[in-house]
Amino acid sequence: MRAYLTYFKLKFISSLQYRTAAWAGIATQFFFGFVYIMVYVAFYESGGKNLPMELPQLVTYLWLNQSLLALVNQFSRDQELFKLIKEGGISYELTRPKNLYFMWYFKIIGQRLANVTLRFIPLVLVTSLLPDPFHFGLPASFVHFIFFILSLSLGTLLVTALSVFYPIVTLTTMSEKGIVNIIITIADILSGIVVPIPFFPKFLQIISSFLPFQYISDLPFRLYVGNVNLADGVFGMCIQLIWIIIFILIGNIMMNKNIKRVVVQGG
Amino acid sequence: MKIYFESLAMHLKGELEYRVNFILSFLSQILVFFTYYFIIIALFTKFDHIKGFTMYEVLLCFSIIQFGFSFNEVFARGVDHFDQLIIRGDFDRLLLRPRNIILQVLCSDSDFVKTSRLIQAIIVLIVAIVNLNIKWSILKLVTLLLMLGSACVIFFGIFLAAAAYCFFTVQGLEVRNVFTDGGKHMAQYPIGVFKKGFVWFFTFIIPYAFVNYYPLLYFLGKKESVLYAFSPLLVVFYLIPCILVFYFGMKRYTSVGS
Repeated sequence: MRAYLTYFKLKFISSLQYRTAAWAGIATQFFFGFVYIMVYVAFYESGGKNLPMELPQLVTYLWLNQSLLALVNQFSRDQELFKLIKEGGISYELTRPKNLYFMWYFKIIGQRLANVTLRFIPLVLVTSLLPDPFHFGLPASFVHFIFFILSLSLGTLLVTALSVFYPIVTLTTMSEKGIVNIIITIADILSGIVVPIPFFPKFLQIISSFLPFQYISDLPFRLYVGNVNLADGVFGMCIQLIWIIIFILIGNIMMNKNIKRVVVQGG
Repeated sequence: MKIYFESLAMHLKGELEYRVNFILSFLSQILVFFTYYFIIIALFTKFDHIKGFTMYEVLLCFSIIQFGFSFNEVFARGVDHFDQLIIRGDFDRLLLRPRNIILQVLCSDSDFVKTSRLIQAIIVLIVAIVNLNIKWSILKLVTLLLMLGSACVIFFGIFLAAAAYCFFTVQGLEVRNVFTDGGKHMAQYPIGVFKKGFVWFFTFIIPYAFVNYYPLLYFLGKKESVLYAFSPLLVVFYLIPCILVFYFGMKRYTSVGS
């Protein structure tokens, strides 16, 4: 376990060095948050029927989305791992007497946590000072906040378990584009990053509830704003746990299978 | 102009050499584009209209903006990815040649995978128009063509200004997305639906309103004045400062070496 934690710490500390990138990221996410909110404000001012969320709740949801994007998004991939596979560095990884799956798992989680640490504090501070309708609100209640923290932690474990799949697949395909890109696009829609899940048409909401993606960030964010009641929150967290276990198991099996077929590229 | 088409054909041949890769990327682009209008369709299941604009009216606006954007992604890729030219040091080579520099940048790259977006934008446009029940006249056809043309022009201008940014620094390039992708996201909706200050900004600073709002009002029969129909022509003036900024940046350019 200690070895894995060292991997986590190494990746965390080295990722903290990229501060200029973080400032650019903050500026971009701040602006995009504004843009998304403006569109919704225009919609809400036009009136609608049976809206699934109140505007202040939705605004807080969207700011959470922007400030925690580095933690919960599907599209950022650890370029270093792909390089390792494509340029032959993988052979060094294979000589290490540790489980490769968990080495990668802890590297990815370290990077995600470092990236979000640099970004979310300035975003949350500034947006909570904004006037209505752009104001980033407080959690629905203290208990909701605790639930939010718990399910966000589980969501992080879940998104990491998903992200490890991409380099594992690349072990045999040698290209992280193509099929992986298609999966990521679908995952992005169904995780609620584009439109929050309650705004989906009914049939898609049902399909989505059987898939893992909405349990990454949609569940924790809706717990924060109080759009999900606590009983459903507990139920959701159980589902999160089940998906995490399933993915780590499948990931390990695939890793063992693919590692036998791996071809070292170059030297 | 002939040089440009020759290099375009060359890039196309180059891309088609990797056929499987091309097809897979093409498919994934279709999917990515789908997510864009999925947002709009999903929101309109909950809302009837956005400040008086119905779903098909918004989709019309959306397809015009996407058309202009993808058009530049395909045919002006070199401007879009100008940072690559600077970072690799290839820009120095272009400076040595006795041809117009912007033309050379245009020739340097193109991306035919993005034609999948272009085609989808046209399909969405047709679907929207068929469902809109427009009272056609020649002037309305001209308005529509002007809107499509001005959408291409405005994004070319924005891309060029964003490229000029690279002359000053290649750090924090994400910031450029604010003006390209962020602006595009807002302009998918008729600019008039937003708050006053933003309408002002998108009329006089980045003139999206002349691409997708004032002419749209005429096209949909919400306004009668012919001035609205020809307002997209004003976007051409927007190119002037963009080109000037580009040349101004180029004067201050110092090579990154290699």
